Amino acid sequence: MPPSLLHPPSQLSPSAALQLSQQAPNVLSESLSAVSSSPFSLFSAAETPELWIKYENLLLSCLRTGDERAAHQCLERLTTRFGATNERVMALAGLVKEADAQNPEDLEKVLKEYDEVLSEDSANIPITKRRIALLRSMGRTSDAVSSLVQFLSFSPTDGEGWAELADLYLTQGLYQQAIYALEEVLVMAPNAWNVHARLGEMQYMAATAPGASVSYQKCMAEAIKRFSRSIELCDDYLRGYYGLKLVTSKLLKESAKPSKPSEEGEFALPDTRTMEKLNELASAKLSEIVRRSTAREAGWRGYDELEVAAARDLLSEETSAHSARER
Amino acid sequence: MTQLPVQTIHRDPQLLYWILFPITLVMILTGVLRHYATILMATAPKKLDQKTLREQRSLLHGIAVRSNFHTLSKPSFVARREALTAAYESGAYLKAPENRGQAPPNPMSDPSSMEGMMGMMKGQMAMIIPNTLIMSWINAFFSGYVIMKLPFPLTIKFKSMLQAGVATRDMDPRWMSSISWYFLCYFGLQSVFNFLLGSDNCAAASQMAAQMGQMGPQQAQMFGPGTDPDKQFLAEAENLAVIEHYSVLDEVEQRLLEGIKV
Repeated sequence: MPPSLLHPPSQLSPSAALQLSQQAPNVLSESLSAVSSSPFSLFSAAETPELWIKYENLLLSCLRTGDERAAHQCLERLTTRFGATNERVMALAGLVKEADAQNPEDLEKVLKEYDEVLSEDSANIPITKRRIALLRSMGRTSDAVSSLVQFLSFSPTDGEGWAELADLYLTQGLYQQAIYALEEVLVMAPNAWNVHARLGEMQYMAATAPGASVSYQKCMAEAIKRFSRSIELCDDYLRGYYGLKLVTSKLLKESAKPSKPSEEGEFALPDTRTMEKLNELASAKLSEIVRRSTAREAGWRGYDELEVAAARDLLSEETSAHSARER
Repeated sequence: MTQLPVQTIHRDPQLLYWILFPITLVMILTGVLRHYATILMATAPKKLDQKTLREQRSLLHGIAVRSNFHTLSKPSFVARREALTAAYESGAYLKAPENRGQAPPNPMSDPSSMEGMMGMMKGQMAMIIPNTLIMSWINAFFSGYVIMKLPFPLTIKFKSMLQAGVATRDMDPRWMSSISWYFLCYFGLQSVFNFLLGSDNCAAASQMAAQMGQMGPQQAQMFGPGTDPDKQFLAEAENLAVIEHYSVLDEVEQRLLEGIKV
């Protein structure tokens, strides 16, 4: 599927982002006649929200690929349409300024501007988020965390913010806090299978981290359940199968006995037979995904190449371990 | 059985050009004008300050926890419930904790809610004034005679609708007076406006009424003026307290093994 300018480009691969930003001359050469909101627009094409989404996404792609001239043009058009005081346009303008910054002093200046904006209007959510992202990219992680926590205390329904907080905590090795934040994302989006799988990964990391203080079995049990739920919601999701296979193989190798959960309501490990079945299921599906997406079959091409390679490694590790044991 | 003789009324063919078309044209132009007038008069939604935002979103957060509790494991849910209930009951999220327990302010005296009402008034004025003007214009110039004959037969019940302003008892209901044509345009031009102005226009009468009916009450119920946030928080705390927790993760392995075939 070719990348479209109508979707936010943050998840795209570098080549796809480049492809998008190369559309810039075409998009920008379109005339701006459609932009007026006067009664004469009766006779021309009406203005659509898609047009502005297009400009916004083009702006992001251009900044990513370093086409700053086009980015400035996009910003200019957005500013003439929505005014410089529109919150979203303010955030985009800040983003462009951050991209233009040549040295750390410039970034400090941008940060100071954000602070000024926020001292006037503390409820400006896009700028608050930009400020946190800037703090993070400047390496001031603890400041970023505290601002983010402050932001989430007045806007606790912001899934994006919670996801960012989970990521920040994870980089600092605070697994329990990261899990809590990611659970909040699930409260906002209960059927997000990628978040379920990510939570399973975090549980696995929390269980296997050196010096982990939490109950190993409880975390592994929840990891299995999270991965299973993610597969239940999306039965082609590679990361879900990968995690399921990883966790069950590890538990089977250790031949862990399910113990009684220490606390009421905690999850217990499934019995060995169930785990073997889950492991088989994950291996079968993973090898199918690897085989078909390597063969570039129709309908199996959307997988990330690195993820497929990782799945292949996991499977071959397994078979080599088997053959070594048999010998 | 005798066939009723077909009524024929000799009309000046110029009626068509001098009454029917002008009324239609005026109606369409008024609709377009009203669309742009509404856009011009619309005030931007008022910006909320941080405390109001916090109050509203905390409540929404509680509602989200209540409706999606099944994605959480029991310990995580219980921890959230305890935290939220304690904060709700102590009024920690309130915008103005010092007003707790007092009666909510009268919505008529609150300036912020007056603004919302002014907006609604403006919208209604944009409907009422042009309609009154056009109706009196039609009444003054074109009342008292029929202008066209519909090409299909109608029952007698339509008489009062189509022949308003023409008090003739025996006339076939197919004859139509100018004021009736006005009403027909008033209710029937929606698709014309959709064509001219796009589907989210605010030109036609019926859409206006529908919007008032649907949007108004819901919005007012949630965060509108006159509601007491403290009471909403307490109700939400109670809703959270009565939840019997189950998790979607219970038995998920079995469901998966039964449900999925590779």
